[in-house]
Amino acid sequence: MMKIWSTEHVFSYPWETVIKAAMRKYPNPMNPNVVGVDVLDRSLDAEGRLHSHRLLSTEWGLPGIVRAILGTNQTQTYVKEHSIVDREEKKMELCSTNITLTNLISVDERLVYTPHPENPEVTVLTQEAIITVKGVSLSSYLEGMMVRSMSANARKGWDAIEWIIQNSERENHPLCDIY
Amino acid sequence: LFLGYFITMNSVGEACTDLKREYDQCFNRWFAEHFLKGDRSGDPCTETFRKYQRCVQKAIKEKDIPIDGVEFMGPNKDKPDS
Repeated sequence: MMKIWSTEHVFSYPWETVIKAAMRKYPNPMNPNVVGVDVLDRSLDAEGRLHSHRLLSTEWGLPGIVRAILGTNQTQTYVKEHSIVDREEKKMELCSTNITLTNLISVDERLVYTPHPENPEVTVLTQEAIITVKGVSLSSYLEGMMVRSMSANARKGWDAIEWIIQNSERENHPLCDIY
Repeated sequence: LFLGYFITMNSVGEACTDLKREYDQCFNRWFAEHFLKGDRSGDPCTETFRKYQRCVQKAIKEKDIPIDGVEFMGPNKDKPDS
């Protein structure tokens, strides 16, 4: 059983600003479930694109009933993420997948940030996910629930980027000069 | 509160958190001030990164996190029909 989910969001900031925030998205108050982020590998390829492989440690806020159905008390889940920033094409692409609890569920996600084709001052994020629940009855019920939680999480992700941008602006222009 | 969020992001290995912060700070500066501005040279953070990476690899082994052998949905893989 699998479900495909996708959405699109527009940020009212130029691509560079959004990408800077996306690269340092965690920590933020909207995603407290991400408790750790590590860079496993990072390199520039022959075309000058930046590849980053990261490991995210997350606490999944799965409702108690879902944990009961899945038969797990494990809430710490690890996610592997590969991102590519192409500054020539102005495109950032990010793929992620969970690497634990994989016998129960898999959530594969892909995000692409590009400037809006008609307005370079704004940035479009397209986001899609494939959610697969394995080997349990009620799996379509669970997938529906996961899809709803994807939508809620996507909104939190957008808020997080906006939050980072606003707070970095503040960093550049302090409210009070205390030095 | 605001600063708190930037201080509290952890590494998977508790012992690596200081190294991670040192590396992140170096990388974020290079990314914003050099990479995005078209500078083609690599980041100057390799020494810090090596130390940080050694620490993380150790933590991953200790916690038995299965980062290898994962079939990864790469960016070049065909998109599923939707």
